[in-house]
Amino acid sequence: MQSARPTPSEPTGRALLKGLAFASPFIIGFLVLYLWPILASGYYSLTDFSLFKAPKWVGLANYERMISDAKFWKSLYNTLFFTFVGVPVDIAISIAGAHILNQKLKGQPLWRALVYLPSIVPAVAAGFLWRWLLNAQYGFVNEILRWFRIPQPNWLLDASWGGISVIVLMLWTVGGTMLIYLAALKNVPQELYEAAELDGAGPLRRFWHITWPMISPVTLFQVIVLIIAFLQVFTQPFVLSKDPGLGTQTATGPGDSMLSYSIYLFQNGFTFLKMGYASAMAWVLLFVTLAITLLILWSAKKWVFYDNR
Amino acid sequence: MERKAQAGAAHAAMSTALGAVMLLGGALGASAQDKTEVTFSYLWGGAEGAALEQIITDFNASQDKIVVKGVSSPDMTKQLASMSSAKGAFDISDNFASNIASWANQGILLPLDEFGLDTADFPESAMKQLVVDGVLYSVPIATHNFQLVYNKKLLDEAGVTPPTSMAELADAIKKLTKVDAEGNVTQLGLGLTDISAGLKTLGYAHGGDWNRDGKPTPTDPGFVEGVQFYFDNVVAPVTPASYNKFVAGFGPYMSDQDSFKQGKIAMVFEGEWRAKFNTEAGMDWGVVQVPGKTPELNGSTWADVSTIFIPTNTQNKEAAGEFLKYLISPPAMEKFSHVLANLPGRLSLVDSATYDDLPNFKVWLDALKNPNTHGLPPALYMAEYNADLASAFDSVLQGAQTAEAALQGVADRTGSYSQ
Repeated sequence: MQSARPTPSEPTGRALLKGLAFASPFIIGFLVLYLWPILASGYYSLTDFSLFKAPKWVGLANYERMISDAKFWKSLYNTLFFTFVGVPVDIAISIAGAHILNQKLKGQPLWRALVYLPSIVPAVAAGFLWRWLLNAQYGFVNEILRWFRIPQPNWLLDASWGGISVIVLMLWTVGGTMLIYLAALKNVPQELYEAAELDGAGPLRRFWHITWPMISPVTLFQVIVLIIAFLQVFTQPFVLSKDPGLGTQTATGPGDSMLSYSIYLFQNGFTFLKMGYASAMAWVLLFVTLAITLLILWSAKKWVFYDNR
Repeated sequence: MERKAQAGAAHAAMSTALGAVMLLGGALGASAQDKTEVTFSYLWGGAEGAALEQIITDFNASQDKIVVKGVSSPDMTKQLASMSSAKGAFDISDNFASNIASWANQGILLPLDEFGLDTADFPESAMKQLVVDGVLYSVPIATHNFQLVYNKKLLDEAGVTPPTSMAELADAIKKLTKVDAEGNVTQLGLGLTDISAGLKTLGYAHGGDWNRDGKPTPTDPGFVEGVQFYFDNVVAPVTPASYNKFVAGFGPYMSDQDSFKQGKIAMVFEGEWRAKFNTEAGMDWGVVQVPGKTPELNGSTWADVSTIFIPTNTQNKEAAGEFLKYLISPPAMEKFSHVLANLPGRLSLVDSATYDDLPNFKVWLDALKNPNTHGLPPALYMAEYNADLASAFDSVLQGAQTAEAALQGVADRTGSYSQ
């Protein structure tokens, strides 16, 4: 019986061709659907291009224009605000929630399913739901704040609260991160906690000296994934800000506080027909994401603990 | 024997029926194949879409060479993307006048001059927006303008008569705005259901123009004055925070929770489609022409246009042209505009008795012939300009900037617009 796998006696070229043939669905898909659009957008970013007319070479003009484009800076600022406030809060809630889910409580599987439930609700549907929850006059969120006599902000029509509203909506799907942390917590050896307890370590010391280092590889992964998601945020601010009933039809929110980078990129490409400028913005976003990711990976040497070292 | 005969008869009947069905199917198939299929993708949906489907059915019944297939597709981005390919997904579609110049410049709209359309009957304010560099790229199927709609009950309760001058409007706003003991607004004298349309209308009423001679003019003194008028008379007296908190409670436009229907706002600048909605909602309402800063400016408003166009990448140019001619023919346009309570795109229909059953509709109809009704000149930068104006208006309503400062910010950006 002959093996289907290439044998050492088979000519190397033939084996290579066979391998390429098997890998071709991915290779072709990658070249056509990923690499080509990436390279094309790089070229378009150096042109005046509108989707309909042939691109006209303008060199670095699109990149130069960004320097004096106030809305570009506003969208970048907003997006970095969403990211640098939203990601730490997301991580903190996830770790806290994972600890609660890790307790031996009755009906634990049900609680775990419930925290994940928002993650399977489509973002647009969630946006419409939260638009009512955050309504300054009739929303449940302000109603709860009223019970506790806490001032009730005008979440969707006050420039200082628009960005916070976007973060709140982003945090609604925190359950996904929480469950990954739950899996990480279950992998922490119990004997470490027992030893620490014998040495008199309290809950905070046990968390800081055992849990945090042991789940730090997961934290590194989560931080990078969340940063990428927050930097590309589109649907949440788009839905929250686009409400004809409120009279705001700009998709940018009060004081442009919900104008995310991706929304401004979309506006330039598909509303203003400035696809060259939109492509340049996409490349800047790529480099911003890359820079932040590399910075985090560099810093990881100091705070991420791998127990196989 | 009898049973066998019955079986034979049954077989024969079945064969005949099958044959008839096959023949009929073949005939129908041949008939459908002989006809050129035109895809009409329209942005309307709901009742408007249903009205349009009826017109399509009427057209198809009158045709033996063309069959039109209607597709409701309210996604403008999808519409635009479809026009970027060599073979589009539709042969004819609709949009608004503000996009026509930009799209014509991109070469995605088919010039309509070759169809020999008689444009003399279309309002000048509409045509001004649809002819780019002397070439007709789109035709009006309906037009729209904005007038001052008011809640009769609320005005009667406050002893206010419909304003006929800007001073009277300011006075009426003051009398019709209500604030409770805790400082919460409970009723606005003048509200905005469409911020941009309302503030642009006020700009015209102050003798301004936000787009003069084909150039963006956000700092035009009259326009700035109009925007500031709204802040000074509506927002400032109740404070921006209270104003925006009250506005946050507005329900979806033209729903049961609509702010005007709910009596939350006493007056509003609204388009003609309100005539049908207000009446069906059982409201006691009225409408007057927009009061001007001076008597000569009374009735100042601006015309928006719902237009029909054929994309360059249509595969059925001639058939699409035939359907376009039908759509804008007086009977079809009259039927369509009446069902939607939109203004017709033809001056000859302005005095039609068809619209008599739409209460107060005449105020909007008359504006079609009013020289104070402004049409926007075709401009490539409209989408960007409108987005920037929306941000500036919001900044004013937030109390973050004066109208002058906010609109100066827009002026600073106009240099980067497509020209």
